[in-house]
Amino acid sequence: MMKMVRTIKYESDRVPGFGKEVMSVPGCEQLKSCIQCGTCSGVCPLSVYMDYSPRQVMELTRSDFKNEVLRSHTIWLCASCYACTVECPREIRITDIMYELKQRAIKERVYPPRFPIPVLAREFTDMVKKNGRITEMVLVMKLFLKTSWLAGMKNWRMGLDLMKTGRLSLVTEKIKARGDIARMLDTVDAKKEN
Amino acid sequence: MVNFKEDIRIGFYVCHCGHNIAAMVDCPEVAKYVATLPNVVLSRDYKYMCSDPGQELIQMDIREHKLNRVVVASCSPLLHEHTFRSATEAGGLNPFFFHMVNIREHNSWVHTDRKEATEKAKGLSQAAVMRVAKHKSLDVKRVPVNPEALVVGGGIAGITAAMALAKAGKKVYLVEREPSIGGHMAKFDKTFPTLDCAACILTPKMSEVGSHPNITLWSYSEVTKVDGYVGNYTVQVKRKARYIDEDLCTGCQDCITQCVFKEPKFEDLFNEGLGKRKPVYIPFPQATPQIVLIDPEVCLNFKRGIKPGQEPVVSDKCKKTCVEACGEKNAIDFTQKDELEEIKVGTIIVATGFKTFEAERLPQYGYGIYPNVYTALEVERLVNASGPTGGDVILRDGKEPKSIGIIHCVGSRDKKTHVWCSRVCCMYSLKLAHLLKEHTGAEIYNFYIDMRTPGKGYEEFYNQLLDEGNHFIRGRVGEVTDWAVTKEEEGKLVIRVEDTLAGVVRRIPVDMVVLATGLEPQKDAQDVRRLFNMSCGSEGFFLERHPKLAPVNTFNDGVYIAGCCQGPRDIPDTVAQAGAAAAEALALIDTGYVEQEPNTAYILADCCGCKSCIPLCPYTAITYDETTLKAVINEALCKGCGTCVGSCPSGSIVQNLFEDDEIFSEIEGVLAFK
Repeated sequence: MMKMVRTIKYESDRVPGFGKEVMSVPGCEQLKSCIQCGTCSGVCPLSVYMDYSPRQVMELTRSDFKNEVLRSHTIWLCASCYACTVECPREIRITDIMYELKQRAIKERVYPPRFPIPVLAREFTDMVKKNGRITEMVLVMKLFLKTSWLAGMKNWRMGLDLMKTGRLSLVTEKIKARGDIARMLDTVDAKKEN
Repeated sequence: MVNFKEDIRIGFYVCHCGHNIAAMVDCPEVAKYVATLPNVVLSRDYKYMCSDPGQELIQMDIREHKLNRVVVASCSPLLHEHTFRSATEAGGLNPFFFHMVNIREHNSWVHTDRKEATEKAKGLSQAAVMRVAKHKSLDVKRVPVNPEALVVGGGIAGITAAMALAKAGKKVYLVEREPSIGGHMAKFDKTFPTLDCAACILTPKMSEVGSHPNITLWSYSEVTKVDGYVGNYTVQVKRKARYIDEDLCTGCQDCITQCVFKEPKFEDLFNEGLGKRKPVYIPFPQATPQIVLIDPEVCLNFKRGIKPGQEPVVSDKCKKTCVEACGEKNAIDFTQKDELEEIKVGTIIVATGFKTFEAERLPQYGYGIYPNVYTALEVERLVNASGPTGGDVILRDGKEPKSIGIIHCVGSRDKKTHVWCSRVCCMYSLKLAHLLKEHTGAEIYNFYIDMRTPGKGYEEFYNQLLDEGNHFIRGRVGEVTDWAVTKEEEGKLVIRVEDTLAGVVRRIPVDMVVLATGLEPQKDAQDVRRLFNMSCGSEGFFLERHPKLAPVNTFNDGVYIAGCCQGPRDIPDTVAQAGAAAAEALALIDTGYVEQEPNTAYILADCCGCKSCIPLCPYTAITYDETTLKAVINEALCKGCGTCVGSCPSGSIVQNLFEDDEIFSEIEGVLAFK
């Protein structure tokens, strides 16, 4: 049975000002000059798995389709290889725009439930803020607990190997001036809020 | 305040220029203010001073109010100084009793505060009113124009311009760097959109140039020095040694067949390196002039290992079968050297053309890495009946392609290479798609960003290609690779691209890739620019005087530009522009003289002969007279730059229109305004 989905976009589907807001972030300004040539998608090694191609994400962003962009898988699939940014004929920093979109999606919590990448990003920064360093073992455990137990189980062998070679430490690593790094990160956050 | 003489009667006019000035400057207010200044008999504001009624107003006022000075505050003198000087003259005054104030480019267009802009306009007008009172009557000098013309570059632009001038009865020197004229067009197979054979329409024009009595054709020659000024240029041309006496060679080409090299062995540049030639060669069958030349770098009769820039040395080690073949004609001369010739011309048309973008600069497209990646110009030769394969599309690996991808915008519309659209690539890609389909029956894929077909019959040609069943994929190619992912891709070149209209990323395996390389300025464009005292735009193409209204003029009077040296364009546009350049040159030649602005400098009797001004003059217009022991300025050479005036330690040099009291009055005028 064919499932009918409404694909037309009405003006009310847009979030006016979203595109301008993204393009006002330092590093994202060049998006204005995009000519939709598709070089980014053409060079992207992960475009084969994406729901929207990088080119489409660029246009949807510019055209204020905030909900579509922040919910797309594309921003999470980006592996930040920077091939698109290197090849873009308009010198648009596509990878950086992807980061900006990821940050917004995390802030607004609009990513798919139990999606590992935003969880990892959040746990990573929280740990850095708290300890000044990350402890891989703890980070990985937290990630699996909050996303998929099953995936954690499946990877036990690799975990064991890493531990044997000393790549996974069980001791929490900390720096001395933990308060300083937390203050630094808070300052950056406050700057971005403004 | 300066005391004005009783008999100075100034008429002042301020122009609204529609809204251009009036929107930012209160013109009636300016007129009212200037009316209060001494010696101003009359002060008006008017909507368009440059219009006929505006000019008549000046003439009428001169007669009715017995004006003897005129000031107009309007646009830039570049635009209308001549107009108002003529109006002043028509009113019965010497045209140099007129002075112009620029309150548009220097004021209304660049300011945002109406009150301040109006005050500035008043100040500038006051300065002009005080200056014009000191103006003197001057005569315009006429310098004759040498009726002979020089055309630099023998491509289709140069050929067209030279023929137009020659047909009008003018003597023309056509200087071409390569051994034959014809330029890029001679390399093309067919021309879009009508698909006429390029050689069929070009070679008759080439031979016409070669045989026209009014045209002196110097191929294998380069302009090395240009002196003089509009109407009277002295040009030095280097005639490179071709080791053949041009007057004796009949073009029989027996020397080529009899050369000790039985088979052609050396890279044939005319065929983009796809074919081979001998050390003695003629670039292509229809070359004009039909004169062979010898390449000393590979000819056995010259010593090996000569560094570039050094003169070739004869080794006399070859059997010289070519000389035997030439026989009594005796045209081969191994001792020939580069020669410098000097010619005198009145006008110059620069038509030095373009070069194509170097595809190696974009390694992701694989040119120079994968043998079956070609540039468009190489494909032109490949499909050409007189090309290296006789018109058969045989790839470098010996195969015939069954599928071909044509990638547009290679080196165009890209901030990392060239930002401009090269204008011709879409159309020539369509043409090559058609020709390749015709020659091979292959599946053709065109990868484009935007299809640009603005021209007579161009969109129709695009429709024809669509009807022929060619594939058009809108997307800029990410990469060309030989890395096969699926079975069908094995042994092929894979083009990875987003089909932006279908919204999917695709991998398309092809046998042959054609790169539609863009057009860029010649490598030595900057040297040529300096040689002819022209300007370049930021992209490196020669700059026209005005992008719309003076597209063939340069900022150097008497030097005109035509063709792709000004920017990328197709053959119809090039021919039209070459005709326009020839018409401009003809207008100058047939006027017979140029009027020189009398703003030249002259030397007063109290010159002490210190000679300090002589080396400073950029136009070498100053000499030292041994009998009077004073410096002398040649008025014809003086361009009125004022360098000598400023440098003279005894203040003995004066410049017309810029005399001390004129300049000081102007400064006082600005300073007096509060």
